[in-house]
Amino acid sequence: MRPPATSRERSEPEPVPGQQTPGRQETQSGAEPEAAGLPARKAPDRSSQESHGHTEEAVTDLSDLSDLSDLPAWPPRVGRAAWPAAPLPAALALWGYAVTHTDVSELDDFGLVSALHPTFWLGLAVLVAGFWFTVRDPRRSHSWSLAYVLGLLVMERATQAVVYPTPLYAWAWKHDAVVDHLLTSGGLQTSRELGDLAVYDQWPGFFAAQAALVRLVGVDSAAMYMAWWPLVSSLMLLLPLLLIYRTFTADRRLIWTAVWIFYVANWVGQDYFSPQSVAFALHLGVLAVVLRRYGPTGTGAGGQRSALWTLVITVMVVAIVISHQLTPGMLAVSLAALCLTRRYRDWTPLITTVVIFLAWCLTAALPFLSAALPDMIRSVGDIGGNLSTGYEATPTGTGAVATSWVARLLSGSVLLLAVFGVLRQRVLRHRALPLVLLAAAPLPMFAASSYGDEMIFRVLMFMLPGACFFAAAALLPRVCTLAADAAAREGRPQTVPQGLRFGTWVPLLALVAGTLAFVPSYSGKDRMSYFPPREVDLVREVFDRAPKGSLVVAADRNYPLAYASYWNVDHYWFLEDTRGHVDQILENPAATLARDMSVVEPPGRAYFLLTQGQFADSEMNGLLSGAELRRIERSVAASPLFERVAGNGAGVVYVLKGASR
Amino acid sequence: MTPQELVIRMLPPFGGWLALAALTLPDASPLRAAAVAVFLAAGPGAAVVRIGGPALRSRPAESPVDRRDPDFARHSDLLERLMLVVFLSVGVVLIAATVLIAGHAFSGQRVLLALTVLTTLAAFCPPLRASPPPRTRKGSAP
Repeated sequence: MRPPATSRERSEPEPVPGQQTPGRQETQSGAEPEAAGLPARKAPDRSSQESHGHTEEAVTDLSDLSDLSDLPAWPPRVGRAAWPAAPLPAALALWGYAVTHTDVSELDDFGLVSALHPTFWLGLAVLVAGFWFTVRDPRRSHSWSLAYVLGLLVMERATQAVVYPTPLYAWAWKHDAVVDHLLTSGGLQTSRELGDLAVYDQWPGFFAAQAALVRLVGVDSAAMYMAWWPLVSSLMLLLPLLLIYRTFTADRRLIWTAVWIFYVANWVGQDYFSPQSVAFALHLGVLAVVLRRYGPTGTGAGGQRSALWTLVITVMVVAIVISHQLTPGMLAVSLAALCLTRRYRDWTPLITTVVIFLAWCLTAALPFLSAALPDMIRSVGDIGGNLSTGYEATPTGTGAVATSWVARLLSGSVLLLAVFGVLRQRVLRHRALPLVLLAAAPLPMFAASSYGDEMIFRVLMFMLPGACFFAAAALLPRVCTLAADAAAREGRPQTVPQGLRFGTWVPLLALVAGTLAFVPSYSGKDRMSYFPPREVDLVREVFDRAPKGSLVVAADRNYPLAYASYWNVDHYWFLEDTRGHVDQILENPAATLARDMSVVEPPGRAYFLLTQGQFADSEMNGLLSGAELRRIERSVAASPLFERVAGNGAGVVYVLKGASR
Repeated sequence: MTPQELVIRMLPPFGGWLALAALTLPDASPLRAAAVAVFLAAGPGAAVVRIGGPALRSRPAESPVDRRDPDFARHSDLLERLMLVVFLSVGVVLIAATVLIAGHAFSGQRVLLALTVLTTLAAFCPPLRASPPPRTRKGSAP
């Protein structure tokens, strides 16, 4: 299935506020553990610990750690103990005010960025600052960090659902059409009935489940709730992400900052109503299980491992395999990468994934794969080609270019931070080596396929869970070995905790910049993605009146309901044709289009549809200018071969008089 | 069996039958949507995790070396169970709906009924016991 072309494209009880943990007491008093009445811990053998990352002894004494010792010591005052409660509601209040005062009726080339009320940006900055100072405060429980991350998700992923009256993205509307097809047909169909779109019937998992949900909830279509899917699918990622990070560190700051950076860097926009949104969450679920349960700790005598865990990951892998083409491949390379370490050299998850994937590809998905195989083989090894097509079209116009660069800058910065984190955090690099491998594992996929011009975005998304852990580590104090830390404590008195300093403000500024940059990266092309209600109504009118066997001709597929009734109505998007043919249309629009549309057999009719979504897509991707599209429209309007049958402020519909008389 | 265990055992099938009963409510009613969504998102997974839980937790999971809170591992295990409840439910829903649609026997009610029946049957299954720890020779490390 072809991906979207646009750029969218928890709990450790902490001390009660006001109380001090032994570790904090020690830190604040500057006394040695023994002097503070705490058991002194003999420094373990360093060489032994460093050679067996996960055989290092677990620390149960706060005096063993330096992880929190760099934190500012704050006196336990009531006001400060309660302060995390203030920025979060303030940020949400600012967000609430912003979304109720945002007008999306006239979007420009900066999409939602220029339409948002200024208080949105202020709210986002307050939220980041609140999160950063909360997550650094050792008295704050995981619950506060969780609350801030949920606040971020609401501001990031629910804003569009609130400000736009209709769901975004032509691709989400397409997936709604696939659900509608399954409900109409009641079964799976082949390419003989559906043509190229039969590919969805060969990976039907997500669509079948959505079809059941539509019927059970009793709504007309998935369009009734799919605007909220980015929030739902992003929430699904939270559980496996936390589990993965908690496997390698107990430092709350690192865990939650990594989660934060992940959500901010994941602007690629595969969270919309799509199979990959669920498959990605399941992919992370499988990795979380493998990282926690297939390491050396879980291995019993003779290398036995519970077959039950294999059964658990089998259910998740089957769900992935029947839903999406690319995710099983990404899962396989990730599991293979884990096998490079002795710690995770258990082949069971990898073999399970590969066997299930192959079984599906050689049975249910064989028709699609056999047809697509020649193209797939051609693209193998063509790294340049697979990379260079990352942007399907050239962003055109100040807004499109600027938002594209902000997105690239955001991704590049996070990846550079991750590299810096890996280089700087030697101890963490050793402890969390599997995350380094998981971040690098998707890279070979560049050599495998261009994946409909989207491989660069997908590879980035699958790299993020591992990369964001080290990006967060780059912003936080250096992690010491347990032995070095204990030795340092024995050798010198504790330094007096410092106040807010360079190490506080630089990471904060980085987080604020990244969080703000997410918005143009994610919503900067909303002029293309948003279809106002009148545009939806106009297209629906076409499909309501189109007899079976009709043809709908449009400039491109960027309009709502573009695939409605695709089992009955054919489509032709002339901007996807050869450049020579597009030139012919530009030279003589009405006659050329009439000739293209005359192939329709009665009782079918041929419709020409031009809407504002097509204008936005064509202009912002440098295909045809608005003037050229308007010239085509004027030619059709003036031609005796066409008759206008519908139109409103969002577009116009003509029918070819000659067809199906 | 304690009353608490009985509630944990019977809650998933109860959720399923409640969702089926909610289908009598008007289309798109919030109560109907909530009953269906909650069961599909957690019911089947909760039933599976209850059965497999003790055996799945028989061996400790990987945990970070810098953990200082003795409850850290326990909380991670809770998080893991929560994830499994949701993800196994989602997985089972995807698989059940695909099987029914591939067999041309698809309807929303059938998907819900099949999952409710399976969840009810699971409620009558005893939890799988953890396999006994491996024997260690006298004098050897456990």
